[in-house]
Amino acid sequence: MAGFRVVTDSTADVPPDWRDRYGIEVVPLNVLFGKESFRDGVDLDSDQFFARLEKSADLPTTSAPAPGEFKAVYERLAGECDGVISIHIGSNLSATAEAARIGAAEVPGLAVRVVDSLNTGMPVAFLCRVAAEQPSLEAAVAAVEARIGKTKILALLDTLRYLEKGGRIGRAQYLVGSLLNFKPIVGLFDGSVQAVDRVRTRRRAIERLADLLRRDLPVESLAVMYSTDPEDAERLQGELQKELPDIDVGLGRIGAVLGTHVGPRAMGLTYIRA
Amino acid sequence: MLLTLQSAVEDVKDSPAKEVGKVAHIAAHGSLMGARGNSGVILSQIFRGFAKHVQGKAELSPRELAEALEEAADAAYRAVLKPTEGTILTVAREAARAAVQAAEADAASPSSVIAAAAKGAKAAVEKTPTQLAILREAGVVDAGGFGLQIMLDGMLRTFEADAPVAEIKIAVPVAQKALALPEEGWGYCTEFILQGKELDVDRIREDIAAMGNSVLVVGEPELVKVHVHTDEPARVISYASGLGSVAKLNVGDMSRQHQLILEESSHEAAAPNGSAQPPAQRSPDRTNGVGLVAVTAGDGLVNIFRGLGVDAIVEGGQTMNPSTQDMLLAVETLPYDEAILLPNNRNVILAAREVGKLTAKNVHVLETGTIPEGIEAVVAFNPERDAADNLESMREAADRVQTIEVTHAVRDTRSNGLRVKKGDVIALINDKLKHAGHDYGEVVRDALQDLGPDAYELVTVFTGEDTTAEDGEQLAASIRESFPSLEVELQTGGQQHYPFILAVG
Repeated sequence: MAGFRVVTDSTADVPPDWRDRYGIEVVPLNVLFGKESFRDGVDLDSDQFFARLEKSADLPTTSAPAPGEFKAVYERLAGECDGVISIHIGSNLSATAEAARIGAAEVPGLAVRVVDSLNTGMPVAFLCRVAAEQPSLEAAVAAVEARIGKTKILALLDTLRYLEKGGRIGRAQYLVGSLLNFKPIVGLFDGSVQAVDRVRTRRRAIERLADLLRRDLPVESLAVMYSTDPEDAERLQGELQKELPDIDVGLGRIGAVLGTHVGPRAMGLTYIRA
Repeated sequence: MLLTLQSAVEDVKDSPAKEVGKVAHIAAHGSLMGARGNSGVILSQIFRGFAKHVQGKAELSPRELAEALEEAADAAYRAVLKPTEGTILTVAREAARAAVQAAEADAASPSSVIAAAAKGAKAAVEKTPTQLAILREAGVVDAGGFGLQIMLDGMLRTFEADAPVAEIKIAVPVAQKALALPEEGWGYCTEFILQGKELDVDRIREDIAAMGNSVLVVGEPELVKVHVHTDEPARVISYASGLGSVAKLNVGDMSRQHQLILEESSHEAAAPNGSAQPPAQRSPDRTNGVGLVAVTAGDGLVNIFRGLGVDAIVEGGQTMNPSTQDMLLAVETLPYDEAILLPNNRNVILAAREVGKLTAKNVHVLETGTIPEGIEAVVAFNPERDAADNLESMREAADRVQTIEVTHAVRDTRSNGLRVKKGDVIALINDKLKHAGHDYGEVVRDALQDLGPDAYELVTVFTGEDTTAEDGEQLAASIRESFPSLEVELQTGGQQHYPFILAVG
């Protein structure tokens, strides 16, 4: 028995093949539509989630996994390794990291380091990948912590409705209250949702996303994400890959937690600055 | 006076208060906030004097009522720098005098006191032509005084509810507007509310009197209403802004009827008694401290700019041609030291460039030549980036949009190889006459085809003042049909001269 394993939660939107490749364990959050509860990514996939989202009058809520679920995962892993790095959705967005800590306390024989990513979505998946590639648990924790302040999500929304309903509008006030329609661009970094820009047309908003990314170059990880419609995301992925041949530009799906705030037909960029 | 009175009435209606002291206080505050014009401001002081006398009282005896009217008249006199007889002041005083006399009678009642006041007012009004030459020459009575008489008559009627509505007859015609206070020279009729702490009303009156005439400065240490006719409105505003925050600004260029409207910020702070408007304040998300001023015309467009975060709008009037002074004023009213000014019309750019030279504030002119350019620029404004950064992205946004203006040719003309007859529908692309035809749909389609619709995504159609909703829908449908890849957004512009303005982006 040696080495360490990486644990995260379903909000990390870990691409399916990474789980095997990097041995990443994913603990699902619960998504509640009214009284119906679903394990995120297990009982409900992205397509099903967004279909329901559009039909629901009220926004779904998500709840953290119970500490007992983390305890069970850690106990199982205790038989396979010496330590675990457990990287989770930002503590201001969910109580998941706290649940992980409580669960870890119940497994005293295993060294568990819980890390608060201060973000959600694919940046967390990137952090998991970085961790998995480290030689030791300590090195993994150091590598991840060094990158937390550098993760960023920029999302272009088709509508502000979900952001408003979810009460996350915060400093994005200047995006609302106008008679004109526009596409808002919001950012998720430094632990909160921020208003970044407003653009009149989708096409120009996509260009603006790319411009904003260019301002933050160089980056070490990059992916284009989308909530429901892949075409624009795929096109942008292709363009960026040509522009940045040295990075592997991924394509990912926006999951339930982020999806509840950005809504359908949203797309964005997620990256870790170098 | 009507507007002032309405403001007081609205506030009183909104309140559950029943005690005369409280109701009078609410009316006084409401009338102060809504006071317009000389007569309005004096009326608000009449309310204030009355309210002061009845403070703390639940009901009034006939004598208290008469004395309150006296104090109201005194307050009216104190409001005016140079009190003149033959005006609303005289009428107020005569009404109060009659009221006091009636209150001394044995069978005095509130209704007999008011009846006497109304009668006294009527007599005073009829006398005003004998007291003021300007009224005598015009053969009219003073309008402000007459207004007060009507109010007292109205009060009387509430006591005698079953009395038939009496038509107020007067021997001599009433002046069309308040001629009472002598008005010297043309200039800008400047009114605003100043909110602050420990404001020295008398000192402010003195200072402002040095900057203009027809000066009315009234209020309390926290709230002062200013009305002045001045050639230097910017100087007055600048002075006032140094003492507190300026709100409800109204400036009328008395010779050219240009109006400046200060846009209240969208700040949601509730005023203490719920009736006051929030003062012009820095917007909480405007971390860059840069204000936005835009020139526009048309109610719909004003609302659109306002909704996008523009702090002050200069309405260009019929010709959409405000002066440097008009724009300077707008800049001075901003609660920011730096500003971006958008002229939105090629003819205004020169005048806009001069504004920066006349103010201590840092003014950047973004030379937008059309309304669509201005709108795109404002959309691109980011309240967290500095001015230089914003100017760059706003310029880029303004440059990318194409403007199509649709109107009718006022004469036969030949332009760019195009033969145009008077009355033809014409379309200008970025201010150049490019297409002519017989109907809006045809001309707009030609213009869009000219621009090359594949390069664009969204057409925003702003309908003009006289354009019906149906016309707008029809044009939108016609564009969608001819260019299915274009999204069409219909907005109410309310502009004059152009039935349609299109932003193509």
